Amino acid sequence: MKQEAQMQQDSTDIALFVKVSEGDVITWDKSRIVKSLLRETTIDEATARLIADRVERIIRDSGIEFITGPLIREIVNAELIKLKLEEQRKQYTRLGMPIYDVEQLITKQNKENANVPHGPEATNLSLAESIKKQYALLKVFSPEVALAHERGDIHLHDLGFIDRPYCSGNSIEYVKKFGLSLPNALSISKPAKHPEVLVLHLIKFSAALQGVFAGAIGWDAVNLFMAPYFVGKSDRELEQVAQMLVFEFAQQAVARGGQSIFSDLNLYWEVPKHFADVEAIGPEGKYTGNTYEDYIEEAQRFARALIRVYMQGDGMGRPFFFPKPQLHITEKLFKTEGYEEFLYEIAQLSSERGNSYYVFDRGETAKISECCRLAFKLDENDLQDAKTPWKMRYSAMQNVTINLPRIAYEAKGNDDLLFEILSQRMRLAAEAHVAKRGFITRLLNLGKRGPLGLLAMDKDGEPYYRLHRATFLMGMLGLNELVQYHLGEEMHESSYALRFGLKVIAHMNKESERLSEEYDMRFVLEQTPAESTAYRMAKLDLEHYPSETREVVKGSIERGEVYYTNSTYLNISAPISPIERVKKEGMFHPMIHAGSLTHIWLGEAKPDPEAIAKFVVRTFKYTTNDQIAFSPEFSSCLDCGRVDRGLW
Amino acid sequence: MRIKGVLETSFVDWDGKIVSTIFLPSCNFRCGFCHNHRLVLEPESFEDVPLDYLLRFWRRNRDFLDGVCITGGEPTLHADLPQLCATIKELGLEVKLDTNGSNPEMLRSLIKEKLVDYIAMDVKAPLRANDYSRIAGVDINGELSRIQESIDIIITSGVDHEFRTTVIKGVHGEDEVEAIARSLQGARRYVLQKFVPHLAMSEDLKKLPMFSDEEMDALVEAARRYIPNAKWRGK
Ligand code: SF4
Repeated sequence: MKQEAQMQQDSTDIALFVKVSEGDVITWDKSRIVKSLLRETTIDEATARLIADRVERIIRDSGIEFITGPLIREIVNAELIKLKLEEQRKQYTRLGMPIYDVEQLITKQNKENANVPHGPEATNLSLAESIKKQYALLKVFSPEVALAHERGDIHLHDLGFIDRPYCSGNSIEYVKKFGLSLPNALSISKPAKHPEVLVLHLIKFSAALQGVFAGAIGWDAVNLFMAPYFVGKSDRELEQVAQMLVFEFAQQAVARGGQSIFSDLNLYWEVPKHFADVEAIGPEGKYTGNTYEDYIEEAQRFARALIRVYMQGDGMGRPFFFPKPQLHITEKLFKTEGYEEFLYEIAQLSSERGNSYYVFDRGETAKISECCRLAFKLDENDLQDAKTPWKMRYSAMQNVTINLPRIAYEAKGNDDLLFEILSQRMRLAAEAHVAKRGFITRLLNLGKRGPLGLLAMDKDGEPYYRLHRATFLMGMLGLNELVQYHLGEEMHESSYALRFGLKVIAHMNKESERLSEEYDMRFVLEQTPAESTAYRMAKLDLEHYPSETREVVKGSIERGEVYYTNSTYLNISAPISPIERVKKEGMFHPMIHAGSLTHIWLGEAKPDPEAIAKFVVRTFKYTTNDQIAFSPEFSSCLDCGRVDRGLW
Repeated sequence: MRIKGVLETSFVDWDGKIVSTIFLPSCNFRCGFCHNHRLVLEPESFEDVPLDYLLRFWRRNRDFLDGVCITGGEPTLHADLPQLCATIKELGLEVKLDTNGSNPEMLRSLIKEKLVDYIAMDVKAPLRANDYSRIAGVDINGELSRIQESIDIIITSGVDHEFRTTVIKGVHGEDEVEAIARSLQGARRYVLQKFVPHLAMSEDLKKLPMFSDEEMDALVEAARRYIPNAKWRGK
């Protein structure tokens, strides 16, 4: 309780010190130092007084004419250090940024992430992120974990969003059933009667969710769950709703810090088995008396309408990057009428625009996709949830990536040592997850009026955020370079190297299972969306392990553009045929339960859609690959490292 | 048999199929717009692709592949082409052959032995000596009848096929396309390929303009007067 009270007080205390005006120390009162030290740290009163005296002397002796609260705090910190009160100094830390950095941030485009538009909203976000990140490393995680992150042994993702879970898979059924009544909202909407209104509810809810999650906002079986609203509607009407859905999602980029909502629309041509007999919810949140199997026609028509909208692109004919369409394929697809034509249509989209994803749910698995590669396999419990589909709300709370090449450098060719260090790093990652869970739990416990009020909202007998179902992601970076350093061969160069890579991931998978049991948490492997991590870790290694790193790092050392190969990918610039790539990369996928993806770079202007459709079907039938996406050009791929090979 | 290049997985070389495309060296023509001119002029500058390697790749990936597209250069210049086709077919893969039609004897024997499943033959210009020679870049006057013979063999073969013409703005107009189409009557497919100047062999051609999509549509219309199943390909 005491901690919570402190958290709520937040930053107002700093003002106590700032009231010092130029040339005049009118508000100077050293007892304020004592008071703040006693409030913020575990120091004893005598020591606090001693420090206050010393600080006063320093200030008086310096002849400073103008002093600010933050400067006084720094002087106090210096005194704490002299007294070797390291713990108290940490407690007394002031977070912030040098004025130079702030100015750079406000006035200059962020070079490292040119995707984020530069503007006041975006810089607000960056400033906030910077402080929250510092807070996270000092207060949320143990010094050991924080150090491992800073050194680059592991990478804690989204530290600037420390007070939010990572990503979420959501159910349209929730919005259909309960309407839009967000905590603290001024007005409350009842369940939608019309499809257009449902779309607006979805978008607003997504925007609200974006405010409490760091990453992707996924929506499952969109075409199926919306289908009951389309009974008796024409294709033209459906296309209008589809347009609204896609455009409104895409244009939310004007929201938070100018970032798009990382959103996915998961689509099915068939009615997947786990939803077939589920009672359908229709307009006004009422049961329609039918099951979802009965709405297959409307669901299919809406899926086609969505594909048509994607095909046309935006107002300027450019492709939509968000929301991403993800087609799920289950065994049932091949028994569902019309699947060939539909596959052809979506393959055309791949061929022309390249932004469709294919998710393979073989056998009895069912999956929900969250972001470009994150897909949750639903387990027995989850499938129970399918009967009450509004409960199908899943989340990965945090993502921690392990720097694999560095482990190879440290192991110096010794197998046993390599696996031992890997286990140690995974334990560190587990510790990081425990810390994050503790912190988020604390915030959730503050209830509806707390910072995560939206996630604490309780409409169906449990909070929106189902903590007990949260997963914790163990990502990996640079498996290819680990193998390359350890064996002298990259994974595509020999079957021995590939097998060794598989062994490493099998070890990680086993470790995550073991740790799950030990900690009673769900740890699962995930292919890290590399983004900046691939560069950050490569750069850090180039500093700490220069000669080792030079042997394997990708990119250009001269230009300072270095990176490691993403997750378990094969070398992205090696000439590996798409067939062998889906097969070989797919061998890793069954061990990576939170989802994996193979990117297929076509490098050809317009591949034949029929051939693409065949490729998709054969990938489902003849490989263990979990998910594929086609990229028509190398250069457009943002999350898999830079490739210099252009087209023509 | 020397194989000079391979695209292990191709989605563009055979409509509706996933194939491997292999490139055989040398050619008896010298078309200015040839996309593979190095293969034609200095085939030795490419390393050989070992057939063993290909056979292993094909065997491993028979589940994904529909067939192999043999292109070049001009594949029919190689006496052991039938052998190669037979080897591929033994793996259960289909064979597509690209040819300039200058070797009707070879075509006849491949068809007779059932060694090809699809033939794509280039028809470069109306079958008039000077026109053809100009495009093919060699004196073809004595050979025209052989080109016509190849066309007839293919049309009557029962083997699935297409004829195609790379159309160059300023060289091929509606009249030319119509004339070519007339000599192809009875063909199953006729495809006009849009010439992409910056890929051309000669500097002169690089400067040429490119047909617009609308112009391509008009050319296809001209072709359809004789071959209903005509279309165009290209960017
Ligand atoms: S026939 Fe074909 S390979 Fe030979 S030069 Fe002409 S375009 Fe090139």
